[in-house]
Amino acid sequence: MDAATPPLEGVRVLELGTGIAAAFAGRYLAGYGADVVHVDVDTRAPLTPEERIYLLSGKRSVPCEPGEVRRLAGLADIVIEDCPTGLLDAWRCDPATLRAERPELVCVSVTPFGRTGPYAEFQATNIVSFAMGGIMSVTGDPDRSPLVTGGSQAEYLGGLNAAGAAITAYYGRLAWGEGDWIDISMQECLASNMELFASGTSYGDPVQLRMGNQVRPVWAIYPCGDRWAGVFCLQRQIPALYAVLDDPELDDLRYLDPLRREEVQDELTAKLYAFFAEHGPAELLEMGRKHKVPFGVAMTPADLLEAEGLRERGFFDTVETDQGPATMPGRPFPGIPWRAAEATVVEVDAAAALSSWTEAR
Amino acid sequence: MKKLPLEGVRVADLSHFWAGPAATARLAEMGAEVWKIESPSAWDNGRTLIHQPGVETPWESSYWFQAWHRDKKSVTLDLAQGRGRELFLELVQHCDVVVENYRADVLDKLGLGWEVLRATKPELIIVSMAAFGKVGVDAELVGFGPVVELMSGLTARTGYGDRNNEPFRAGVAYGDPVAGMAAATAVALGLIRRRRTGEGCVIDLAQRETAAAMAGESFVAASLTGATPVHRGNRSERYAPQGCYRAAPSSTELGAARDEQWVVISCRDDADWAALAAALGRPDLAELELAVRLERHDELDSIIDGWTRSRDAQDIMELLQSHGVPAGRVLDSGSILDDPSLQRRGFWVYLPHPRMRRHKQFRSTWRFIEANPQLRRHAPIFGEHNEEILGGVLGLSAEELAQLEAARIIGSVPINPGIG
Repeated sequence: MDAATPPLEGVRVLELGTGIAAAFAGRYLAGYGADVVHVDVDTRAPLTPEERIYLLSGKRSVPCEPGEVRRLAGLADIVIEDCPTGLLDAWRCDPATLRAERPELVCVSVTPFGRTGPYAEFQATNIVSFAMGGIMSVTGDPDRSPLVTGGSQAEYLGGLNAAGAAITAYYGRLAWGEGDWIDISMQECLASNMELFASGTSYGDPVQLRMGNQVRPVWAIYPCGDRWAGVFCLQRQIPALYAVLDDPELDDLRYLDPLRREEVQDELTAKLYAFFAEHGPAELLEMGRKHKVPFGVAMTPADLLEAEGLRERGFFDTVETDQGPATMPGRPFPGIPWRAAEATVVEVDAAAALSSWTEAR
Repeated sequence: MKKLPLEGVRVADLSHFWAGPAATARLAEMGAEVWKIESPSAWDNGRTLIHQPGVETPWESSYWFQAWHRDKKSVTLDLAQGRGRELFLELVQHCDVVVENYRADVLDKLGLGWEVLRATKPELIIVSMAAFGKVGVDAELVGFGPVVELMSGLTARTGYGDRNNEPFRAGVAYGDPVAGMAAATAVALGLIRRRRTGEGCVIDLAQRETAAAMAGESFVAASLTGATPVHRGNRSERYAPQGCYRAAPSSTELGAARDEQWVVISCRDDADWAALAAALGRPDLAELELAVRLERHDELDSIIDGWTRSRDAQDIMELLQSHGVPAGRVLDSGSILDDPSLQRRGFWVYLPHPRMRRHKQFRSTWRFIEANPQLRRHAPIFGEHNEEILGGVLGLSAEELAQLEAARIIGSVPINPGIG
């Protein structure tokens, strides 16, 4: 293999997909070179047109015919699935059966609550998995209901875990000769990322509920003209922030000492409200750059499509669609050859996919 | 016993706080040997992120640090001193991977930039994880998870949809674990590529980019239609009704959480709605179609809320799930520790630590059914493995180690520990 070839070139991936999770995992694999065949498994919550463009471009898609799916599974190097419990058993395509036949196979299941346990057959959409993963309890305004985050983060995070596990397991196969079956629960993916909170409560701290946008004055989002912006400083960055604020009162120990800052919390919050009101987003970012202060501006996807910093790094891919060119995030990280999708998903019949995999073998 | 996939892989870990440590923690779970390398004077401030009044060595007993450094080894080296830098480069020759999440300019200022590392060992896999990447017009911007979230488009898509479209941050520094997971994936891809080409690589991961990739469909929409995010609170355009509803106060939860019991309910289609309407005792509404349900969402929310408020959250979830309706509790930092599914799946485990109280910790989310990764050892004590690694691997004598300690190039106690 030459250095410009994506590392998963020649790897055959069967994606038995109903939702975002398996499709996002498969997107990583396709972009880094794998030949991904997506099976459109019937679901009560299908992908939207925009999700199909983002998640399935660069893949081939075959109709859901269990016999053909079984034959494709017999030729795959990696199977990723997010199917309803029991469906794959009925097709004799369940990971345990497939792995028993071909120990080199990597199988990844990514489901709301995992393939075992009392909730294995529970029904979920993104908000249900997200709520059960804990992060929702700390997100939102303290005086309002808990808030789900934008997009479909439970499903994407499950998909990201599935991609990482599949690729790592495939490396294990190259190194040690055997694959494995990885059972990923979206609930667990979220619960492992509750930051300070679950471990803290287990260690004796009180239950932590949602803290809104202003956890502390220096860890907060503020109005910034007709936009919103934020500052998120660790203690070591406080001197730089105060230098930018240029206010002699901030030399007072009550502002400097993290253990005393609570005494002046209201005053510091007021100063920061005023500061953010006085400076536009671009000016804030420039001050952050110059003084190494962690300022951020709430940018929209439309803003980001125009962002020079992303364009010059070659972040975006574009595919032609019926509605015109669609631009979307491309390689998640540079440094490893990526194969940008040239088109939206290509519908083929299973025989064509089988034939190409048989010939390759 | 079946081998873990990354057994035999060795990682030099220069990372701090969350994004980088999350990546290397995953590599350790998967069998890699991870050397966490910290300077005695510029140590991982995540150690003291949590204020622990009265604790003698708080940098050793943080549940935060413990969570992200299990199964790693600790080496101290002051990379700003010439001898420390030399020793680091000697260690790198024994490693396959280097991971760092310094601010974009720091590695170069230490004289340890990519070219230096590659010259030391060309087949290295180097992962840098600056918030905005190390290369490009935004490289000088600085930030952590919440800044990454703001600048990636994720925060703009979260909110209640009022108060001048106020966007809301996730309650955790979400950009960090996303970047960490992506970085661990990058390492595995780098290892596969190295097996196939013999070459190492430099991965300039920008945390903003890995976060933006978590909502790619919104970029598709923006590019095709110019669409900007619309806050819907907890509602959905596709599923209705969908929302977060208050349940009865818990009889078992303690403190603040007692009155903060919530459930989410999400109807994917007419069948889900008909089942929910039956549970609500409102069969007269069971025939409402999606468009009507969306239009009458406020009214339906009111009916659902009136039903949930007097019921236990766990009971609501189990009842609706028994009818096939997607529903779940909003588990908080207390109730999640007792969740029956997480308990049954062995998600929470106890891992003994010499200076910490017993507490529940999460295990790997990558459940390799056969290789079955387990947590093996607590986070290392500061500099705990200096002798093993600097002596055992590099062959330094006890006398040399003492000289390094006297010069504060290595150490067993952080210099000037304060609040992180």
